[in-house]
Amino acid sequence: MQFEWTAEQDEFRRKIRDFLHANLPQDWEAFSEHGPASPALTAFAREFCVKLAEAGILFPHWPVEMGGEGLGPWEQQILAEEMWIAGEPRGGQYMNVNWIGPTLQKYGTEDQKRRYLEPITRGQSLWCQGFSEPDAGSDLASLRTRARLVDGNYVIDGQKIWTSYAGLADTCFLLTRTSDDRKKGITIILVPMDTPGITVRQIPSLIGEGDIHEVFFDEVTVPESARFGEEGQAWEIVAYSLRNERLGIPRFTLARAALDRAVQMLGEQGRFSREYVRIEAARCAALCEAAATTNYAVVQRRADGRTIGAESSSARYATVMAERVVCEFVVEFLPEVLAGASPYLKMHHQRGIVAGIAAGSAEIQLNIIASEVLELPREPR
Amino acid sequence: MQLTLSEDQTQVLDSIDSLARPYAAVPLHDASFVLESAELDASLVENGFLDVLAVDELGPVTAALVVEKLARLPFAVEAAVSALVRPLIDLELPRPICLVEESRPGAPVRFLRPGATVVVVGSSGVSSFTAVQDKIAPASHDTPYAYPVAFLAGLPDTPTRHEVDPAEVLRAWRVAVATEAAGLLGAALASTVSHVSERRQFGRPLATFQALRHRLAEDQVVTNSVYWLALRAAASGTAADAALALLHAQEATKRVCYDYHQFLGGMGMTLEHPLHLWTYRLKLLSAELGGRADQGLAAAEALWGK
Ligand SMILES: Cc1cc2nc3c(=O)[nH]c(=O)nc-3n(C[C@H](O)[C@H](O)[C@H](O)COP(=O)(O)OP(=O)(O)OC[C@H]3O[C@@H](n4cnc5c(N)ncnc54)[C@H](O)[C@@H]3O)c2cc1C
Repeated sequence: MQFEWTAEQDEFRRKIRDFLHANLPQDWEAFSEHGPASPALTAFAREFCVKLAEAGILFPHWPVEMGGEGLGPWEQQILAEEMWIAGEPRGGQYMNVNWIGPTLQKYGTEDQKRRYLEPITRGQSLWCQGFSEPDAGSDLASLRTRARLVDGNYVIDGQKIWTSYAGLADTCFLLTRTSDDRKKGITIILVPMDTPGITVRQIPSLIGEGDIHEVFFDEVTVPESARFGEEGQAWEIVAYSLRNERLGIPRFTLARAALDRAVQMLGEQGRFSREYVRIEAARCAALCEAAATTNYAVVQRRADGRTIGAESSSARYATVMAERVVCEFVVEFLPEVLAGASPYLKMHHQRGIVAGIAAGSAEIQLNIIASEVLELPREPR
Repeated sequence: MQLTLSEDQTQVLDSIDSLARPYAAVPLHDASFVLESAELDASLVENGFLDVLAVDELGPVTAALVVEKLARLPFAVEAAVSALVRPLIDLELPRPICLVEESRPGAPVRFLRPGATVVVVGSSGVSSFTAVQDKIAPASHDTPYAYPVAFLAGLPDTPTRHEVDPAEVLRAWRVAVATEAAGLLGAALASTVSHVSERRQFGRPLATFQALRHRLAEDQVVTNSVYWLALRAAASGTAADAALALLHAQEATKRVCYDYHQFLGGMGMTLEHPLHLWTYRLKLLSAELGGRADQGLAAAEALWGK
C-alpha cells in the first residue's frame, strides 16, 4: 500500500491549480456565492469550460476514442477535487464530464452521440437530471411521469421536482414510465428543454438561487429516436451513471478546505487557542480524512476495474458525516459567515447541507450498507 | 414540587394562543428567509405579555412560558430578551433589545436596527446605547438565520452604564436563549412529525420506518427536557441551572437540525416549507454565548468551582 500521490499526479494537480489561479477572476470567491446553477455561474461556466477544453482539462479522464486522454480514475478524482474546492467553476457542466458523456458513449445511438457529445466537449451544453418526482424521491422506482408512444413520437405527461439546473439546461435526462412494471417499466428519454409543453418553476431555497426546480410536462412530444437505451432499460443505465455521480463530487475536499478556512478565521480573531475549539476542529478534520480515505478506497476499485457496489454508499455516508460536523463547527463558532462574513464558507454551507439528501439520502445509504456490506437479515415485510 | 401550570399561567398562555392565532401558520408559498410582524409585536406589547416577569403573581416561569410559546410561531418576535433580561437592566429600555458579548462584537446581532437598544455585556460591566443607521452593517440579503440580523459597525464612546452584575445578566441571557430554543425545538419537532406522518414512500408513511422513529423519539426526549430545564432555570435563578439549560438546548440543536432536515428530504431545503424558520433560528442560537463549550465551562464552574 502506498498513500502518496505519484509525481505525475502531483504534477497534474499542480497544472489544474495553476490553471485555476490564472483563469478565475480576482473576485471569484464572492462571485462563487452565486449558486452553481445560477444564471451568473452558468454563463461564467460557458466561457470557463471552453478554456478548460483548450487546456485539455475538461475531460482528460475520458478514453482516447472519445477525445480524452484516457487518464484514469485517480486523475478524474484530482480534477474533481480541485474544481470542487474552488467552488465548482464548471457549474452544472461537471455532470457532463462525470457521467453524462460516459453514459452517452456507453448507451447512446450514433445519432445521440453525434448530437450531444460534441457540445459537451466544447464546454457548451448544460443538462438536467429529471429523476425525482413529488411522490418518488427515495422510492424512485415509483415514478409516474408517463411516456406514450404515439405514431412514432413519445408524448410525455407528468412532473419532476428538485431538478437542479432545469432553469437553464438545454437537455433533460428524463426518466419516464412506459409500462407498469416497477423498475422494468422505466425508460430514459433525452428531451430538449425548449420542447413545447415544458414549464419550469424555480423553487426558492436555502441553497442559492436557481438551484432546484419543478418541471412540468404537458403533452411534451419528442421523436422516438429521443429514447435513450431500450424501453425499460433505465434502471440499469441509471445504476451505472449514479455510481459515477456519487463518486463524482468529492465533497470531503471542500469540507476540509472550509474547515481550514474557518480555523484561519478563528486564528485571526485570536480564538483558536482555546482547547475545546482546537479539539472540535480536530474531530472535524478526522471525519474529513476518514471520508477521503473511504472515498479513495472506492476510486481504487474503479482504477482496478472492479465493480463498485455498496462501497460507494459507505463513502457517501462518511462524506455526509464530515460535511455535517464541519457545517456545525462553522455555524457554532463563526455564525457570521452565513450572514456575509465569508462567501467561501457560506458557499460551503450551501453545498454541505445537501450532502445527505441529494443523489440519494443518507438513510438510504445506510440501508444499503446494512443489507449489502453487513449482509444483515432484512426486516420482515 | 408542582409542575402543572397555575390558573394564571394557563390563562396567559390561552390569551397568547388566541392573539397569535393569525400568525400561527404561514401559507406554504409565502415563506421567505425572515418573517416578522409589526402588528403581532405591537399587540404583545399592548397586552403586557412581555412584562409578566415583574408581575408578582406571574414572575419568571410565566415569562419563560410566554417566550417558549411565542418562539413556536413561524414569525420571529423579540420576546426572550425583553421578557427575561430587560427587567434586570431597566424596564424602560426601548425594544427591540439586542444583547452583544463584549468579546464578540463581530457576531451577527439579532433584531439589530435603528432605534434598537444594544446592550453590551462583558467583564467590564453592562452598558447600552441606541443603534443608529450608520453604525449598522447589513447582513447579506440571503442570510438564512430567519431572524432579522445585522452587524455592529462600531460602538459609541459613551454608552449608558447600568448598575447591574454582568454575571446576573449572563445568567438571564442563558435562560432567555434556552427558553426560546425550547419553543423552536418544539415547533420544529411538530412540523417534522406531521411531514413524516403524511409523506409516503415505498407505499407507507415515512414515520413507519424504524430508522426514523427512534431518532425522532430521541429528538422528542431532548426537546421535552430542554423545555423543563429552561423553565427550571427561569424558576431557580441559579447560574448552574441557566448554563445547563442552554448547554442542553445547544446540544439538542445539533442533533435535531440535522435529523429534521434529513427527514424532510428535498422539502427541507425549500423556503416554502417553514421548517427552516425554526432550524435556522436554532442554529444561530447554537452559537450564542460561545456555544456549547462555553456553557459547559460555565456550568462546571457553577457546579464544582474553578
Ligand atoms: C440540492 C438538491 C438537488 C437535487 N437535484 C436533483 C436533480 O437534479 N434531479 C433529481 O431528479 N433529483 C434531485 N434531487 C432530489 C433528491 O434525489 C431527493 O431529494 C432524494 O432522493 C430524497 O428524496 P425526497 O426528497 O423525496 O425525500 P424522501 O424520499 O421523502 O425522504 C425523506 C426522509 O425519509 C427517509 N427515508 C425514505 N425512505 C426510507 C427508508 N426506506 N428507510 C429509512 N429512511 C427512509 C430519507 O432518508 C429521508 O431522511 C435533489 C435534491 C436536492 C436536495
